[in-house]
Amino acid sequence: MNARSCIAVLGVIAVSSIALAGCSAATNATTSNATTGTGASAAAGKVEPLVLYAAEAYDVNMGKAFTAKTGIPVKVVDDSTGPLLTKVAAEKNNPQWSMLWVDGDTAFASLDKQKELLDYTPSATYTSVGKTLVPSDHSYVPTGTTAVAALIYNSAATTKVPTSYSDLLTSAYSGKVGMNDPSQSGPTYPLIAGLMNQMGGQSKGVAAGEAYLTKLKSNGLKVYPTNGDTLHALETKQIDYGLIQSSAAVGETLKVKATGTYAPKIVYLPKTTLLPGVIGIDKAIDATQQAEAKKFVDYALSPAGQQVMQKADTAGDSLFWPVVQGSTKLAALPALPTTYQQLDPYFWGPLQSQVVTWFDSNIK
Amino acid sequence: MTAREILGAPAVLTVAPRRPTLRRLRRGVSASAVFWILVAVILILPIFLFLAVAFSPALLGQGTQWFTLSAFRQALTGQLLTGVLNSLMIGISTAVVSAVIGFGVAWVVLRTDAPARRIATGVVFALLLTPSYLIALGWERLLEPSGVLDSLGFDPSGARSIIYGPVGIVVVLTVKGVPFAFLAISNALRGLGHEFEDALRVHGGGRFAAMRLVVSLLSPAIWAALAIVFAESVSDFGVASTLANDAHFPVATFTLYNAVQAFPADFPVASAVSWVLLALVVLALVAQGRALRGRSFRVLGGRSRPLVRQRLSAPAKALVTVVLGILVAIGLGVPTFGAVSASLINNLGSLGSHAWNLDNYTRVIGSPDLSSPLMYSAGLAAITATVTLVLATICARLLARQGSTFSGRLLDLVLLGAVALPGIVFAAGYIFAYNLPLTNDLGIHLYGTTGLLLLAYIATALPSTSRVLVGTMSQIQESMGHASRVHGSGALRSWATIVLPIIARPLLSAWLLTYTATLLELPVSQLLAPPGSEPISVGITNALGKYDFGGGTAMEVLAVLSALVVVGVGYLLFRLLAPAGWRNLGKAS
Repeated sequence: MNARSCIAVLGVIAVSSIALAGCSAATNATTSNATTGTGASAAAGKVEPLVLYAAEAYDVNMGKAFTAKTGIPVKVVDDSTGPLLTKVAAEKNNPQWSMLWVDGDTAFASLDKQKELLDYTPSATYTSVGKTLVPSDHSYVPTGTTAVAALIYNSAATTKVPTSYSDLLTSAYSGKVGMNDPSQSGPTYPLIAGLMNQMGGQSKGVAAGEAYLTKLKSNGLKVYPTNGDTLHALETKQIDYGLIQSSAAVGETLKVKATGTYAPKIVYLPKTTLLPGVIGIDKAIDATQQAEAKKFVDYALSPAGQQVMQKADTAGDSLFWPVVQGSTKLAALPALPTTYQQLDPYFWGPLQSQVVTWFDSNIK
Repeated sequence: MTAREILGAPAVLTVAPRRPTLRRLRRGVSASAVFWILVAVILILPIFLFLAVAFSPALLGQGTQWFTLSAFRQALTGQLLTGVLNSLMIGISTAVVSAVIGFGVAWVVLRTDAPARRIATGVVFALLLTPSYLIALGWERLLEPSGVLDSLGFDPSGARSIIYGPVGIVVVLTVKGVPFAFLAISNALRGLGHEFEDALRVHGGGRFAAMRLVVSLLSPAIWAALAIVFAESVSDFGVASTLANDAHFPVATFTLYNAVQAFPADFPVASAVSWVLLALVVLALVAQGRALRGRSFRVLGGRSRPLVRQRLSAPAKALVTVVLGILVAIGLGVPTFGAVSASLINNLGSLGSHAWNLDNYTRVIGSPDLSSPLMYSAGLAAITATVTLVLATICARLLARQGSTFSGRLLDLVLLGAVALPGIVFAAGYIFAYNLPLTNDLGIHLYGTTGLLLLAYIATALPSTSRVLVGTMSQIQESMGHASRVHGSGALRSWATIVLPIIARPLLSAWLLTYTATLLELPVSQLLAPPGSEPISVGITNALGKYDFGGGTAMEVLAVLSALVVVGVGYLLFRLLAPAGWRNLGKAS
């Protein structure tokens, strides 16, 4: 192939791909805001498979249980939150997911702003904690909640237990505190945003929280990639205190037999930030799938569905506090701390990139 | 480029008419066009669309602007510029060190009688299979405070400060680079007869001069090795997010990593950084072009002489064994320790009070979480390796014969560019290209199918596999094919009886390389696996993500072992079933 024909081939590819993508973008712009779900595909009794993108340990079991109960097939894409959200963002032109189920509501607030979520009010009755997590426009549905930060400490190595975040800045805790890296650990941005919300609030923004973390860094804060790495550092006595997600911390206390050198215990410093598990339904799916997805959400919040969630991973993701009436927490999980706060995901979500970059440059 | 040329036959025989008939013209055009359309579909289109997002976010629904340069303004910050310089340094260092080690190992295996040579190929494939994060984890387990060395009474703080930085990054990436360098160089070294060195020694040249001659005759393979390792290193994501991140040593992919990890993912900025990575690759290609311009390396003909193995003295044998042992310890010992110790210990793979047992293995072996994903990935890896091998042979032939033409240079750029883009970017490009509403409306549903995952695997593997074969393809003298054609063979027959026997063993190595590299591929698997089907790499990552550290690492160890069994069986079958003539190339007398 000579240069001329090569350039011709490339030209054809470039023009045709731009035309394809451009037409698609234009078509999408006109259709994405329209109400989807024509009656044609919503024929009575017709069953379509649901596609669930999920990062919960109980997602596959829940899909199977739902199919067994209703006959509606559920294809589960079970992965970590990061890759799932990358997939969702890349598919924006033509979403392929029916439902998304991950920890944290900031991504859902962002999807809601882009008008990608179907509003739905489930039939279950929320508890008082649950009500604080439900968005006013009902664009997504909380299914349970964990908390950040649980402060897990090695009671075999230290008898000092902090009662507030400012305690961690004193010399007694110098070089002994660890946390995760928000650029690699999903639950860690909500933890940092929680500190910023508590110390500065939405009116003063991030400055007070940044000042606190800077002081914590000066006092020898150590940063590890994820929950597992921070727990490993605690087990090997590189640190005595770890700030991690409640389900990982409680799971560690259940899995590890206390010894003379390692006996993990947990304390919650005021205020604890709620980190809910959340389901969102894609607005672009047809009416049949919308009806099926609503059934799935209702099933997840029913006593039977909540039990499926609680049996799947009793030393990890199943350790959540229920947010609907008729469901009780696992016996091994201590009560939810009384001083908790709920973050406004519409305010803190858009700040994530900025805060994570700041943390990378100044704290790590 | 005609079909005949692709197949290795001369374009025009002396007896052929000058004016091609219409039928031949049509056939020639179509063979070439089919190949280029395939390359366009699996490589150019996804890359092109991803790169277009930097200028036109609205094109793929990633913003509202149809033309803007703001992504470049955001990406080209001080940190990125530092990162680019760091990446350039890391890439060059890794490429050179990997090529030197790869050449050394290839020399020991093919040209000496060192006893260690018998296990070297197995070691190389084991290195290829070891994920970079596992190597990093192994080092951390050794060097961390209260880690292994600490508990044994050593003070590892000095070593820790060296490994947690540029040196450690180069070490880990070199471990990943050596297999490519070894395969590319050993394939070419196999085809280099002994007659050139004999001639030089007869004319009074010393051993050093002979070695210099060998190096210059192997230039295409050595440059292929340098280019591929460089591109792999600058695009690496695993080390960028672990060691480089922990060491506060920014690399070019770090800005990209942050852009893709944010929600909503900032694809325009990731695309702008990809342009920078491509610029680095162009630099690598310019260097390669300047080094090889105007020279011929066709040394493999009908008169190639068998090799002569050097008989090493006892101290030399010991030295070779020690050096290879060090390579094994750094490349395999450390990560194996990290993985195996973690999989033998319950809970989080910590040392100390936990019981060592095989619980995790017994739990995992019987679990459907391992068996069905492993079978699914193994099947896909085998299909990928087979299809890639055919395409890579054609690509390597084109690169070897047409390196200086426009289409040859374009193919070179596309192949290397594909390597320089991190896997996650490549996978996102696939979603952009094959998940358009318009194609959906036309009834074409490629995204979310095993077929598209296969295409992406092939596209991911093609650049490396082509380069591994370039050295071999650069050596083949056309006179052999000409002779066969003059004696009445058709194009296909002359290729099957002349070229295939010569490249059979390199083809086997390339197939096994592709199989092993695809089996545990992660980023493309994560973004493109069909709903309901889970590749093994995603299963392992999920287990690790849910704190089942023991189970995840046990799955990993078993997957690696299964791949090593495939490699062993592959070489064994070649030895048992291949005709004697196929096995003779590169044999030492």
